[in-house]
Amino acid sequence: MAASATALTLPFQSGERKVDDRELVRLSQNGTEAAFEELVRRHQQRVFALVAGILHRPDDVEDVAQQVFLKAYLGIKRFDQRAAFSTWLYKIAVNECWDYLRKKKVRPLVYEADLSEEQVSRLDGIVSTNRPPESASVRTETREILDRMLSTLPEQDKQLLVLKEIEGFSVQELAEILDLNVNTVKVRLFRARGRIMETYRRRQNSAAKGHATSAANRKE
Amino acid sequence: MPRDTGFGSVACEGYEALLEDYLNGELSGADARVASEHWQNCAACRDALQNAAASLRLLRTAEPSADPGPGFAHMVMARIRTAETEYDNAGHANFWQPFVSLGWRFVASATFAVGLLVSYNAGLGHRLQPAGTQVRPIQSLDLFAPEPAGAPANRSEVLMMVADNSHAKF
Repeated sequence: MAASATALTLPFQSGERKVDDRELVRLSQNGTEAAFEELVRRHQQRVFALVAGILHRPDDVEDVAQQVFLKAYLGIKRFDQRAAFSTWLYKIAVNECWDYLRKKKVRPLVYEADLSEEQVSRLDGIVSTNRPPESASVRTETREILDRMLSTLPEQDKQLLVLKEIEGFSVQELAEILDLNVNTVKVRLFRARGRIMETYRRRQNSAAKGHATSAANRKE
Repeated sequence: MPRDTGFGSVACEGYEALLEDYLNGELSGADARVASEHWQNCAACRDALQNAAASLRLLRTAEPSADPGPGFAHMVMARIRTAETEYDNAGHANFWQPFVSLGWRFVASATFAVGLLVSYNAGLGHRLQPAGTQVRPIQSLDLFAPEPAGAPANRSEVLMMVADNSHAKF
């Protein structure tokens, strides 16, 4: 694309009016680099969230997200705007993540270790009171525990739960991005919820058993 | 009918999507009526709904990924420019590539042919000649000179030779 086009002051740069994605896409297709840069700024957070939700590997997220935008830039002239730009972009992101996982032959991290009694009681507090942890360190630890539980689920269940409940994608968006029927997404999400809670209960029981055993050992 | 999939109590097939909608606060009208009538009478669906609500509370404690910040867009644009430059360079290389490879093939074939001729001339040619045959060196290259005659065998040939020489003089 012509770099000279960026020398123009575009409406979205001067802040005169809000330019929608369609116009930015049209400008990008005509060679305006600044318009594409604006599209990157608008969608970078969601693309990041989507890539993070699928990969679960913070170190690789930025590299894959950059690659997503590079692919979008190279293919934007062929984008006919029948779907929303965001949907098209998210589909590129999903394909890029799957390509990445396939090429790297990444095996999902599975944590087999059980939760400590303290961790279980912390989670119990969250589940029963709906009160999120206050301190940053407890939030980080809770996220780690959650990741451990999520790692025991099938890959698609994990992706759906993370993208819907943590990264904030709607059921409609997930259906479009993953090429699934809306009803299928709802059913899978509901079943995945049951599975993660079952994992949680199993760990809860195992921590309680561990506590009972150690108490018995102390008595002896 | 509730199903047992090894993950404890699960909702009846056909009601899971409705329960998911209910959980997300998206159930209204006739669907809401049908759903509430069902789970008032179905313990498995009530359990599954409670479980799902607990999962919602658990999962929403996690924070979403942070915004990568303003530097990210600059990095993306820099990567795009690099990729474009590489693509352009690769494009030029691709245009000349067939000609270059054709040239190299020609050079290789010519070298091989010359090598073959030289080796034939140097060794193989000599070996093919019959033993005892001597090659007379050519003294001078006069293309218009008459063929050198051999020694006359008899008197008639001597006379013919003298007659030829006399004819050449006049």
